[in-house]
Amino acid sequence: MRDDLKVGVFLCECGGNIADVVDLDEVRASLDVEFVGQFENLCSLNGRKIIRDAIFDHDLDRVVVAACSPISHEKTFQDYVKPLNPYLMDMANIREQCSWVHSDRKKATHKAITLINASIEKVKQSDAVDPIYCQTPDEVAVIGGGIAGMNAALSLAKQGTKVTIIEQSPSIGGHMAKIGKVFSPVKIAEECGMCLLNPILNELVWNDNIEVMTNTKVIEAERRAGTYNLILEKSPRYVDTEKCLACGKCAEVCQVEVPNDWNDNLSLRKAIYRPFGQSYPEAYVIDMDNCDKCGDCFRQCSMRAIRLKGKPEKTLLQVGSIIVATGHKLFDMEKRPEYGYTRYDDVITQSELGRITGVNGPTKGKLLKANGEVPKRVVMIQCVGSRDEKPDGHRYCSKICCTVALKNANIIKHKYPDTDVLICYTDIRTPGMFEKYYKHTQENEVRFMRGRPGEVVKKGDNFIVRTEDTLKGEFVEIEADMVVLSTAMEPSDGTKEIAEILNVGTTEDGFIKESHPKIKPIATDVQGIFVCGTAHDPKDITDSIMQATAAAAKVNEYNYGGVEIEPFIAEIDNEKCIVCGDCVSRCKYKSMSIQEDEVYIDPMSCTGCGKCLVGCNQRAITVNGNIDEKILSTIKGVLSKKQEGERMILVFLDNIGYTAADNIGVNRLSYPESIHIIKVISVNRVRPKHIRYALENGADGVFIGEFPGDLMYDEVERKIQRVKDRISEMGQNPERITFSKVYIPYFSGLARKFNDFDEKIAELDEVES
Amino acid sequence: MQKITDSPIDFAEDIIHDVKNSKEEGVLKCVQCGMCTSTCPAARHSDYNPRDIIERVLEGDITILEDDCIWNCFYCYTCHSVCPVGNSVCEVNQILKQFAIKNGIGYEKLYEYMGFADSYFTAAIGAIPEIFFADIDRDVPGWWDFRQHLDEIRNELELDPPLMPPKDVIDEVSTILTITGFKKKIENIREAQEGEK
Repeated sequence: MRDDLKVGVFLCECGGNIADVVDLDEVRASLDVEFVGQFENLCSLNGRKIIRDAIFDHDLDRVVVAACSPISHEKTFQDYVKPLNPYLMDMANIREQCSWVHSDRKKATHKAITLINASIEKVKQSDAVDPIYCQTPDEVAVIGGGIAGMNAALSLAKQGTKVTIIEQSPSIGGHMAKIGKVFSPVKIAEECGMCLLNPILNELVWNDNIEVMTNTKVIEAERRAGTYNLILEKSPRYVDTEKCLACGKCAEVCQVEVPNDWNDNLSLRKAIYRPFGQSYPEAYVIDMDNCDKCGDCFRQCSMRAIRLKGKPEKTLLQVGSIIVATGHKLFDMEKRPEYGYTRYDDVITQSELGRITGVNGPTKGKLLKANGEVPKRVVMIQCVGSRDEKPDGHRYCSKICCTVALKNANIIKHKYPDTDVLICYTDIRTPGMFEKYYKHTQENEVRFMRGRPGEVVKKGDNFIVRTEDTLKGEFVEIEADMVVLSTAMEPSDGTKEIAEILNVGTTEDGFIKESHPKIKPIATDVQGIFVCGTAHDPKDITDSIMQATAAAAKVNEYNYGGVEIEPFIAEIDNEKCIVCGDCVSRCKYKSMSIQEDEVYIDPMSCTGCGKCLVGCNQRAITVNGNIDEKILSTIKGVLSKKQEGERMILVFLDNIGYTAADNIGVNRLSYPESIHIIKVISVNRVRPKHIRYALENGADGVFIGEFPGDLMYDEVERKIQRVKDRISEMGQNPERITFSKVYIPYFSGLARKFNDFDEKIAELDEVES
Repeated sequence: MQKITDSPIDFAEDIIHDVKNSKEEGVLKCVQCGMCTSTCPAARHSDYNPRDIIERVLEGDITILEDDCIWNCFYCYTCHSVCPVGNSVCEVNQILKQFAIKNGIGYEKLYEYMGFADSYFTAAIGAIPEIFFADIDRDVPGWWDFRQHLDEIRNELELDPPLMPPKDVIDEVSTILTITGFKKKIENIREAQEGEK
């Protein structure tokens, strides 16, 4: 019956992009369908009219659009075929995967005919299905209470959204609270960081839409139908924040002194302490690792706020979306012993210099060496751990350290004009308005030397910084009595942990990866999870706030708009299902769960990979959209056009691999005409029977590509190996099947793999004929 | 002035494609930060400047092959291990020296080291030539005494006597060195230098 369906094919000339290489007259002549149309730009609004008129006039059941890649225009043509169901249209990609990669007109034309025929056969197997709309809960979790997380939360709260800030330390505020002075590029001046932070903090504290959870971490996350269930673990504070008045009497009597991490361990604090003067919640906290449980604080506290017993409590938080604002940490100086940081007290980091020059720091703002004297010469070393390909180094530029060095140099110069400040740099990177601040710093008599020091050694009471003045070409030894290292920004431990818990992608450097670096800089590759601040990449306060407020806007866009999902996902037949739970444990995407004695599938996380199908003994699971038949028909459609002596290789790729293959065309590289790419929703849906059918019916080779980041990668790799073994047992050559890694950016590598595989198959054909 | 038809990068490409280069495109990624020079012992004690070596290579300045300074590097590999862009001036230096030798440059520098080459034939190992003994003893006080009593010291530390290659190994190494043209090269250098004298 499906063979009787009326199919219309629409050929797009793409303004010559296709028609110049593919002979569309010959293509038209070859097609045996109800209707064939042709237009110079089908994606234009005129194209919509041509398609719609033809659907009505010829009563078309199915439509094939032979044009560009579905990645470019599938949504457009799904819309243009209305009132036909959007999934009754298929695109034959005769641009990116034909006219842009082939130059031989005759061969390209034949290839186009083959691809269109495959689409015709495939679309006949399509059923009308409706996209699934999901509405997600409005509540939002912001993970991380630094300047980025605080701003994101505040923006959402002011727009009426309920937000929970989850902060693992005892106070919100993050790195900005301890920076001391901050610098803004428009005012050529340093300003009090805390004075800027405090109003934001206050506003946040008083906003009813915001709940702040400190001492709290996300330890587990699970997603169901757009709802995230976050399991939070709250560590005991041992001080009741409702009762504590932050009077500080407890700390006065506490005898235990430990390094104060808020002051970069440059001063001591008690075992019961308040992180910093403006910390929130406004309450003390006990550091139980160091507390000797003497009970003095307990007896001292007139509010009876102290409870020496307590254990971690787990709670559940349900939200619709998440903003990751888990921030950064600084490069570990133990990895660069040549600068002597761990050996010498007066070799410090810019962060420590910030604490030392901060009025609420260990020296109340006085720049002093460990011996209590003011340094005569401070040498700053840039790019420590940044722009560094050595082991444990980072190849990226940390972006803020040039300006941080300038700021701290100016602060020193304002207070101590007699102290010589010399900055050893590789390049001074002060883009935009920051350049004006660089000039201002030079006018302040801060000195600059272009050279990257190799080591810092002690000579008598002072240090020798060995470097080359590269502008003069002279080796120099600079005597200094304080050395300040501009350390790289790297992803915090929390950032790395949350990436794993939420299963969001990270960059090779471990930062949270955005969904597209150019046009989607805030979404992550998981729907409903957004990123901002230094969890994303090195950036300053201004940029963090901008990204935070943008993330808030994106969350609301997501909350109001709902989410449309392709319907090709698994479905359970509850009549057959015995709720054995096998599929739940098999699903790599954790999209299945048992709820109220039924297996529930989260449409947002199911990829339609079909892994659950194979294991279900009851045959209670189906994946919508007739996928097996579509793949088989596509294979048949390609192979039926095989000519005498033609080599045909079938390439199965999912969305990622297909995008990489498109990029070959976009960049005008080429590969042999024998390569026929078939797009599948998941590579796992290519069954052994498909591969065997292809090889038995004319395919010379089968190429399967999978992105190694896909959760099903290992599984698919094993499966292909089993198919190869089986083929081998049946006396066929397993070399005709290949499994390969694909990456979107590495399209040239994919083109080369196509060429290599084609050559190998050609050799096999020769040997075996 | 550089003309529009000049392609200074060719020199760097020759070095990158040399079999000795293990750092791929490292040379091209140099930003002249000078970290190599800041830690280079040769730079501290002579006019050798590893950063400058790369600068001249990138400028296509082949006169560097004739510059005496390239012979001041003695392969401590510090530049190799500190380079932030993964370059190795030390390797580049070795390639430059080979280019120089191929062009008949630096024979007089090599001549001093002929003793090393001879020891491959006589013992199948690279041994310190005797002509350096006096220098080493001057620079490393007590070295001569240490060397004289090496066997006793090893004995005291309960170490086996040094393992020396047996005769058949020495013969085999000599054959390899002869077939590969090493021997001929050494003879050429000797001839050229001793002929001059």
